[in-house]
Amino acid sequence: MHLSILESGTEEKRSPNSEWRRVVRGLRKSPLAVLGSVIIGILIAMAIFAPFLAPYSPTKMRLSERLSPPSSRHIFGTDDVGRDILSRVIYGSRISLRICTVVVGLTIGIGTILGVTAGYLGGWVDELIMRISDVFLAFPALILAMAIAAALGPSLDNVILAMVVIWWPRYARVARGQVLVLREIDYMVAAKALGVSGCRTFIHHILPNCISPIIIQATLDLGEVLLTAATLSFIGFGAQPPTPEWGAMISLGRNYLRDNWWYATFPGLAILVTVMGFNLLGDAARDVLDPRLRRSP
Amino acid sequence: MLRRSLLVMLSVALVAAFSLTVLASSEDGVLVFGATGELRTLDPHVSVDNNAWRAIYYCYDRLVEFKLGTTELVPGLATSWDIADDGLTYTFHLREGIKFIDGTPFNAEAVKFNFDRLFAMGLAPAGTFGFVDKVEVVDDYAVNFVLKEAFIPGISSFATDQGCIVSPGVMEHDVAGDWGQDWLAEHSAGTGPFFVDEWTHGVRVVLARNDSYWGEPAKLEKVSIRYIPEAADLRMLLETGEVDIGEKLTVDQIEAMKGTSGITVFEAPSFCCHYVYMNCQRPYLNDVRVRQAISYAVNYDGIINDLWRGTATQMRGPIPVGLVGHDENVFQYQQDLEKARELLADAGYPGGGFTLKIMHAPVIPEWRPMALVIQEGLAEIGIKLEIESYAWATLRDKLNTGDFDMSHGYWTPDYADADMFTWYWFYSQNWGLAGNRSWYKNVVMDKLVTQSRIEVDPDKRLALFQGIQWISVGDAAYLYLLQANYQIVMRDWVKGYVYNPMLLNMPNFPGMYIEK
Repeated sequence: MHLSILESGTEEKRSPNSEWRRVVRGLRKSPLAVLGSVIIGILIAMAIFAPFLAPYSPTKMRLSERLSPPSSRHIFGTDDVGRDILSRVIYGSRISLRICTVVVGLTIGIGTILGVTAGYLGGWVDELIMRISDVFLAFPALILAMAIAAALGPSLDNVILAMVVIWWPRYARVARGQVLVLREIDYMVAAKALGVSGCRTFIHHILPNCISPIIIQATLDLGEVLLTAATLSFIGFGAQPPTPEWGAMISLGRNYLRDNWWYATFPGLAILVTVMGFNLLGDAARDVLDPRLRRSP
Repeated sequence: MLRRSLLVMLSVALVAAFSLTVLASSEDGVLVFGATGELRTLDPHVSVDNNAWRAIYYCYDRLVEFKLGTTELVPGLATSWDIADDGLTYTFHLREGIKFIDGTPFNAEAVKFNFDRLFAMGLAPAGTFGFVDKVEVVDDYAVNFVLKEAFIPGISSFATDQGCIVSPGVMEHDVAGDWGQDWLAEHSAGTGPFFVDEWTHGVRVVLARNDSYWGEPAKLEKVSIRYIPEAADLRMLLETGEVDIGEKLTVDQIEAMKGTSGITVFEAPSFCCHYVYMNCQRPYLNDVRVRQAISYAVNYDGIINDLWRGTATQMRGPIPVGLVGHDENVFQYQQDLEKARELLADAGYPGGGFTLKIMHAPVIPEWRPMALVIQEGLAEIGIKLEIESYAWATLRDKLNTGDFDMSHGYWTPDYADADMFTWYWFYSQNWGLAGNRSWYKNVVMDKLVTQSRIEVDPDKRLALFQGIQWISVGDAAYLYLLQANYQIVMRDWVKGYVYNPMLLNMPNFPGMYIEK
């Protein structure tokens, strides 16, 4: 514990620029991290250029071609109302990416602010925020998300909202822990003694130093967020028809798995590859960013 | 790693062993019926749900019965019946020496009790007997039904599930004047060849043979109606033989199962109609032009030829082909987007620009793709259709309270008369589950549908039905989609199955047996 405090202290001496260079260098050294970045890069490209990449509209039905197996015309085959599965998988990347970025972005925002506030102010504010986060953490995440999504009515936005509600305590805890450590560090005490205002310490010294554990947590979470969203859609809470959401596609396709394997398989593979990409990237980011795991230079 | 794979192997072995025991324990005297629909109550005076009727029907007898496999009537608990010349009184002569499963003797008082209970509770099944004014006990074994007015298909109403004769003994379970509803929801109290042995909600209903049955005893010892919500699971269980017979599988699944050894697919034309309720009390849909526009926007051919693989025919008005009264000249909507757009513009919504919702239930797997096709058609004319999936019971509650815009639905007639598709669907007193699920009201229609129930002259009655069909199509009260073929899948070892066109989803359990 003492060791990590000292190491976190050394963090401050680096300029942000050299820090980033170090991160990129670290990531490039690991082939798995490169693979993860490539996968996520492809995903982002797919989402941005979906209209140019998809051979058909994701919602256009060709009933006479329903349940066609993969062929040169429909590389991933068609679903039970004759929609091109490749096009739906490509457009689905937009939805998955949107869920991931919005959920992780919002939870980082909310979680960090609450966590840092709790850690910095301490006292009853800390107690209040942390007890509330305890309440949310006490429930199994998926069940709570289901309950919230069910109460709000089935829609993608509500799933996002439900996930933000269940996810923020993780970041709040990480951020609070970091602040508690930072608060006691010598240079902080020194800053205080020199009369640096509380607000300035907060913005210039505390927040920046909370970033790296939060980023580690976020990259590790992305895959889980995607999976949870897909699960919620799979049970019917998330994307509503005809939105091409991967989880919803698997949910419908599983009824056809026996005779039309391609229906559920390709969206399933899309989830598998994407989550793997996020996880590889997350692991690598942790290796690089987490001072406790850093090898000596 | 090694420990984990050992654990996996162990659990696989356990599961395998468990499924083997399940397989081995299925006996010849027990028929396992796999049902994708769950039921809510077993009380015949409460339920209007085919999924529940499957379990209820053979626990009871009725005064008259449908002759097996036909739409004809034969004696049941009544050995004979007379209809007065003016058609206003039915007299039933009852079978003697019969006891209900709870030991209560069956007699004229018991019959009267049933109709007292039905009317006092006044739930949806009571509507079937809305034409009855009063029930009079003549003597121990004769009972009179005095009608409000002559009602042509009246006598066949007594053969429906709503006509099940319940033991007056249920009053012993009366709680706060509920006529024993709470108790009968979970049990049976009839004279029928079976009785409800066990109901584990969400798992199964087990019917056991009534060994003191007055008629020919059932061949099966037990019928276990297992609730299997997923059609894909049902198919697998049928293929492994764990389930002997079941419904509903999708048209696609049935197509794929044809030719599988050990599996028989039964298919026959039926009166089962799939249609869409358009709530006439809701904004937008209360305008006939909007409903007509919707009727013009749907790709009927795609639904029937592709989604249903041609195992259905497009409806032509409300009365299905095969029922007397069906008019083969009545107007039939075809997809015509231009016309649909014009109608919307006439209604004051050029280019659409509003949102409607349509409900479906996964219990009927065909509904979701059908909803998608309708959604696409409506999108063409600028109406945004949101598809909402509900559990069966929730969907039915919403239908009953009118809390919906549009909803998928299907209808099977209880008796073989066009009345099932006219009075029920269009009479404004039948709003909700009772039958008028579009919450439709037209004063002229109200007159026609009530008149057609009492008109004795067959030609005049036909003319009335013709008028009803034309108005109903003009008013676009429903989205008339299709008349489906009935399909059921069973193992080859299931014998004695007879298709009952009037008792869809209620296979003749008493006559069925297993021969492995």
